[in-house]
Amino acid sequence: MTEISTAQKLEAGATAVSPDVRISINNLEFFYGTSKALKGINLPLYANQVTAFIGPSGCGKSTLLRVLNRMYDLYPNQRAEGEVLLDGQNILAGDVDLNLLRARVGMVFQKPTPFPMSIYENIAFGVRLYEKLSKADMDVRVEQSLNRAALWKEVKDKLTSSGLSLSGGQQQRLCIARTVAVKPEVILFDEPCSALDPISTARIEELIDELKADYTIAIVTHNMQQASRVSDHTAFMYLGELMEFGHTKAMFTRPQNPKTQDYITGRFG
Amino acid sequence: MSQHTVAAFDAELKELRAAVQMMAATVDTQMQHLAEAIEQPESDAAQRIVAMDRSVDRMQADIEETIVQMIARRQPVAVDLREIIATLKIIADLERVGDMAKSCGKRLLVMGAPGRQAETMSTLLSLANQARSQVVDVMAAFTARDADAALEVWRSDSTTDNLYTALFRELLTYMMEDPRNISFCTHLLFCAKNLERIGDHATNIAENVIFIITGEQLGTDRPKGESPTGSVVR
Repeated sequence: MTEISTAQKLEAGATAVSPDVRISINNLEFFYGTSKALKGINLPLYANQVTAFIGPSGCGKSTLLRVLNRMYDLYPNQRAEGEVLLDGQNILAGDVDLNLLRARVGMVFQKPTPFPMSIYENIAFGVRLYEKLSKADMDVRVEQSLNRAALWKEVKDKLTSSGLSLSGGQQQRLCIARTVAVKPEVILFDEPCSALDPISTARIEELIDELKADYTIAIVTHNMQQASRVSDHTAFMYLGELMEFGHTKAMFTRPQNPKTQDYITGRFG
Repeated sequence: MSQHTVAAFDAELKELRAAVQMMAATVDTQMQHLAEAIEQPESDAAQRIVAMDRSVDRMQADIEETIVQMIARRQPVAVDLREIIATLKIIADLERVGDMAKSCGKRLLVMGAPGRQAETMSTLLSLANQARSQVVDVMAAFTARDADAALEVWRSDSTTDNLYTALFRELLTYMMEDPRNISFCTHLLFCAKNLERIGDHATNIAENVIFIITGEQLGTDRPKGESPTGSVVR
């Protein structure tokens, strides 16, 4: 089920105008060696909306996320088949510039991964790979990015301190700042709050809600409440298949697929 | 439906359902007493209805507390959420049914035995039995998770409405015939109205049972019985 049913559209109070599709996943299959981890996935990711991927461990949700910026290319014996269109361009094609792709499709990981360098350099480092900015322009970019990640006020007086000196929640926001600094179109969050305390989690969720005004967002989470809080659409995956995709409002009140219902109500998984 | 991984949640849901059934059984006993009070004015059935109201109220409060705890601790979604939210509404309807029965009981006490007209009391009894069967049937549908049975109750409300309309006219005639009937008939009119309202509460419960099962809200166009003169406002 990849289309959102009419009932779900009504349930979610969808307007007549459908949101733009930023990423279109068509018949995607993914293999770890000979083992098939994703089976015939068809799914749109809508521009300026948050799409959450939920499902039990091993269902393929993180694998799917790693396809969206070709992260799997870093590992041998992993391959994807099918089509993933980003603004109409198939990013699975051989001639895609992976560095450019990863700038367009940024990723935030489960554990905060600041570079062992200053807060300022954590942001500037990535920007320099793609753009040559003057010192003044770079200063502006660093401030903008930290502001965007709701971290500027907390770190503006210690930009030369190590990124590792920050708390876990601040480090995660630094990683988000680093991601938005290269002006991506899409941001992928792979369980961004699983290592964070509830207050830091709430800050990240608030941030995701703000960021969607400018970016297309996909988030993988084990936390169902988080999926229901932050996302506009939810995709439920099971054993490498997309079982149900729909408006989050409808998915958490009246899911169509019994498997989805069993999973979100805690009856298996 | 399969079990929750957290068995304690299943146990809580089971207890919740049992508590609602107990509350429904208590309200049904009130309704039985009401029929008895209509048929046998000398009995103490009316007092028993009034006395039972407090325990119905207490049951509602206890179930509400259970539900608040479940929402806070289990964060239910999908069918669990629908069941818990609908149950919260169903017990409010049951409590109102109990209140309506109590109100009828009080009026029957005030009226006393003398001066009751057998024919009118017989129509009132029919109305009471019809309202009671609506409540019994809808709670059976709740227990069995039977959307068709709930829909049947929802549709049957027009029968209750028609009985009410007939009784209304009958009482109006008696009052016009002899002003000494006015006091007696006014009490009965209020009783009739309360019984008609009990039917409406059963209809509400039917809507919530269907919501639990299907996730769909029934439309706002409820079945209504005839009201040809426009003098009966429901």
